[in-house]
Amino acid sequence: MKRALITLVSVIVGVGIVVGVGYVAFVASEEPAVIVAKPNGTMQTPKGELPHAVLDLSVYPNSSKDVPAPKTANAIQANWLSGQPFYGPSTSIQVPANSVVTINFTQYDGGGTIYNDFFARVHGSMDGTISWNGKSVKSIPQDQMAHTFTVHQYPESTQPYFFLSVPLPQNPPDAKTNKAGFAEQPQQISVTFITGEAGTYIWNCEFPCGDLYQEFGGPMQTRGWMAGTFEVV
Amino acid sequence: MILFIVLWVALSPLGWLVTDAMNMTGAPASKVMEEIQQTIQVFTIVSMPLCAFVLAVLLYSLFGWKHVQGDRPKFESPAIRTNRVGVGLWVGATSVLALFLVGWGLVELAQITANAYGTIPSDEQPDDEKPLIVNVTGQQWVWTFEYPEHDRVTSAQLYLPVDRPVYFNVTSKDVIHNFWAVELGVKIDANPGAITQTGVTPNKIGTFNVRCAELCGLHHAYMQTKIRVVDNDDFNSWVREMGGQKTS
Amino acid sequence: MTIAPPRTTRRSSTTSRTSSRTGSADAARANRGGAGLKQDGGGRGGSGAVARVFGNPVPQPPQHGKPGGLLRHLNLGTALLLGSVMALGFGYLANRLTKSGATDATFAPLAPEYIYLAGLFGWTLGFSIGIGAFDGPVRWLLGRELTHADAEYLAGKNLGWQRYFKYTTDHKVVGIQYLVAAMVTLGFGGLLAMLIRTELGVTWAEVFTPSIYNSIIGTHGIAMIIAMIVIVMGPVGNFIVPMMIGARDMAFPRLNALSLWLFVIALVCLISSLFVGGVQDGWSVYQPLAAQSPPGMLGYQMTIIIFAISTGVASVNLIVTILLMRAKGMTWVRTPIFVYGVFGAAIMGLYAFPFYQYSQLLAMSDRILDTSFFVPLQGGSVWLYENLFWLLGHPEVYVILLPSTAIMLELMPVFYRKPLFSFNFAIAGIVGVVALSGLVWAHHMYMTGWAPSANYPFMLSTELISIPVGFLVLVAIGTMWRGTVWTRLPVMAIYALVFNKIIGGITGIYLSDVPVDQYMHGSMFVVAHFHYMLMGAGLFGAMGGIAYFFPKMTGRMLDERAGSIGLWTAFAGFQLTFGSMFVAGLQGQPRRVLQFDDLFNISNWLSTIGAFVIGLGMLIFMGAIISSWIAGKKAPANPWGSKSLEWQTPTPVPLENFEVLPVVTSRPYDYGVPDPYDAKMLADEKAREKQTAKVAV
Repeated sequence: MKRALITLVSVIVGVGIVVGVGYVAFVASEEPAVIVAKPNGTMQTPKGELPHAVLDLSVYPNSSKDVPAPKTANAIQANWLSGQPFYGPSTSIQVPANSVVTINFTQYDGGGTIYNDFFARVHGSMDGTISWNGKSVKSIPQDQMAHTFTVHQYPESTQPYFFLSVPLPQNPPDAKTNKAGFAEQPQQISVTFITGEAGTYIWNCEFPCGDLYQEFGGPMQTRGWMAGTFEVV
Repeated sequence: MILFIVLWVALSPLGWLVTDAMNMTGAPASKVMEEIQQTIQVFTIVSMPLCAFVLAVLLYSLFGWKHVQGDRPKFESPAIRTNRVGVGLWVGATSVLALFLVGWGLVELAQITANAYGTIPSDEQPDDEKPLIVNVTGQQWVWTFEYPEHDRVTSAQLYLPVDRPVYFNVTSKDVIHNFWAVELGVKIDANPGAITQTGVTPNKIGTFNVRCAELCGLHHAYMQTKIRVVDNDDFNSWVREMGGQKTS
Repeated sequence: MTIAPPRTTRRSSTTSRTSSRTGSADAARANRGGAGLKQDGGGRGGSGAVARVFGNPVPQPPQHGKPGGLLRHLNLGTALLLGSVMALGFGYLANRLTKSGATDATFAPLAPEYIYLAGLFGWTLGFSIGIGAFDGPVRWLLGRELTHADAEYLAGKNLGWQRYFKYTTDHKVVGIQYLVAAMVTLGFGGLLAMLIRTELGVTWAEVFTPSIYNSIIGTHGIAMIIAMIVIVMGPVGNFIVPMMIGARDMAFPRLNALSLWLFVIALVCLISSLFVGGVQDGWSVYQPLAAQSPPGMLGYQMTIIIFAISTGVASVNLIVTILLMRAKGMTWVRTPIFVYGVFGAAIMGLYAFPFYQYSQLLAMSDRILDTSFFVPLQGGSVWLYENLFWLLGHPEVYVILLPSTAIMLELMPVFYRKPLFSFNFAIAGIVGVVALSGLVWAHHMYMTGWAPSANYPFMLSTELISIPVGFLVLVAIGTMWRGTVWTRLPVMAIYALVFNKIIGGITGIYLSDVPVDQYMHGSMFVVAHFHYMLMGAGLFGAMGGIAYFFPKMTGRMLDERAGSIGLWTAFAGFQLTFGSMFVAGLQGQPRRVLQFDDLFNISNWLSTIGAFVIGLGMLIFMGAIISSWIAGKKAPANPWGSKSLEWQTPTPVPLENFEVLPVVTSRPYDYGVPDPYDAKMLADEKAREKQTAKVAV
């Protein structure tokens, strides 16, 4: 009898430990709050008249008093990622399905040369161009890149194929910066694209702007910084 | 003995079930894949007798020959130290099986390698067809494809003309990835600092998958894209759409 | 011609295979701790104790202080304290010495790396000093030899339960310590496995963010690998092997304790890595991905560097013990198969683990010292890392497999009451596996493109290694053949082992074939295959072995009902989990992914349900172990009626194992064979001779 009781207690304690650790890991996995593209009337597109939505995103080179860094799982991770670039206000993005969406990027960071010029070009936008400080371009010069916004596949074959890649140019090295290190006159980029049926996608930056090997570590591999989710609902 | 036959028969359909599982997304789409599936079927069928025999002994030992429970038994079983015939049969059978599988595999590998590099044409392919070259670049976490012979057109999806051999020059810009064209049966690591090669001739029109099969960081699970195998005219119009002047 | 029977036989019910003879001839041979060594004054005698061998005093080196010296005050508590203090101290020092905001060439902050590495180093050094690992070298430097009283203190004589928390050299104590440490590691790995399957079962969302998930799978892999390497060689290899070969302890008792405590140090390093970013690159931590990882990678590298030393030391200890300390009369023909299995595993561990340690040392140097062994941008080679890694990676799975299989082959004759079938082929199987294990590593690298023409010879060697593994299955089913089985828990595990090994072995044949591997590499098919071999054959075999030796190691009988329920529940869940995983792999699911196509949903749901069943079964088995340890039925000295040497000792086993070292006169597993010394047989023989003599006359 005593044995059976001890066995039962061991099993219950074991299950409790598993559930406890799982819960802690789950809480540590929390993603930033979702930002939704705001509806903005309709727009004429090659596919007819579609509802239009607009979203604003900014890219910051590092955190500051006014622009705090994204939440991290623990203080050690916060230390590890301090001073690294990130997207704001959030990296969990939601846009409406079967619509035309415009995303306005405000880019505060400096940059460099990208080593895969595929990502210096625009892919997947409505007419193959983006608007860079008002000018309409099909690509950014390879040596003036700062970041990219690249949306790509979730491994579901039942949702439509969607690929969008927006190159974000750098602020020139001699640009005036404010106290926090942000450029005073940031680059403004705007991209318009059409969404299909609902689906879940992933986006990340494809310009190595982190640290460690090939500068693809650190924030490049952390959700909430330079990678996030992209939902079409 | 009866148990052995029964189990052997019961396990045989596995040979076909495994390939059914593999075909659920439209495979096989190339000769290489067809040969891989044939190999799997043969291996399964040939291994079934061994498997059935061992399982039969396991079951029979519990239910056929006696078994007792409880406190220490007073019996002693027949002291069979060895049995020349039994051992000889087993060693012989497993060695023959292993050597057959090795032989089949070596021949198969040579064939697939030749097939992959376009030296054995598929049935419907005209004899003077030049192979298509595609440079595959894996970068964390997107596959990009470049067609050097078509004005260096680049794309995130892999468009291929049917029945034409294609060579892949695969490399990576950062960490090790693995280019796996699932239904075409092609797989090769994408190594940084090196170019590895493989090839295949797709022989079925359709949409297939490229998956990354080597852990490469945060979005390894999302490093997937589509292969669109289309007929030659559609391929040419796609190349022109992407801005390439030279078509095949 | 009659043979005089021995004067004393120590067991009555079963025919004996050893004879122990007292007499001065043996006294001279009694060495290393000595048979019948008596001490005047007994117990913790101070000066004035004289060590004697059958009444003759043995001169001792001078005794410095109380027996045991500094080790009287050192235990696990002091080790933890000193380890933590030195970890914090070294970390603080590193913090002070690193310029604030210093980064390396790739903008990575240097301070966290240096602080963590310094902390790990401080932990290792502090713990080793605190547990007394440096006692031996310091004594040697000071010229103070161990006296007999010292040695007895080190072996934990008369220390009671405290000896389990000290640097105790008694192989029995080390065995129990290994059992507990291995079970903790297994539990840790199993916990992570439940989290993995939860993520893969929730197919409609990400439960954990990808970086945490990658960290969970990597840590699960390495924790389970470490646990499986240790689970049989540690507890059973240490506790049982010296008794099985009729020795008093292992060849190097202090190294024995060292290997255990290094294992504990390494385990803590691994767990600490979870808090600094984790090991996000699988258990194989391929470069250059590992060069992008947060500081947790340093924890992994340190774990391996220390664990490799622990395994190397343990392997040397086992090899020398088995080679030189077998009892008189135990020729190789009379050595139990488990000893062969452990011997083979130790040899493979010895030559393979340095490669692993080397690969991690170079990787750590790449990270900290900015070398470029594996950094392609600076001229390094990723293939170099892969080769170094798999040179260990393959022999290691046989290090896991051989002891588990050997322990099951060892206990089968006891429960079938017949000799092991074809002992020679069992040895041939083990020798074949050891010989070929070093020639097959690149089958993990078929798809890397490093040497396409090398795929042919590696395919040949890999397919060939299935033959010796097949010999072991042959021996198992041959022993079952026409045998009546006494269905107790330890032997039921053999059914689980053989069933899983056949499935694992055949799917391994698929993977060894390069064209098939072209589809299967990096898919869940591979994951299912190695789980069938390492967990299905390895873990279930280990469970059977532990159930078998539980009475001898703990003095209590393992609760069979709970243990069987746990084992078979885990077995059922195991088939469901990994059977469905084969299907997912065939359908095309890659490995190490947390989200996948809808096509794989059903297989993953089934696998997750199966995994929770496994978890429940394993928890029940662990509960059975704990409850039996605390409140189980007291065990007799030889509950299974085994004829091998380790069961001829009383339970609990005295410090010297055998009062008089045994002499072996017959082959092992002579069940069912009439004993030539059997009293009745000799009487019959005498009667027959009288008969023939009468007739002649």
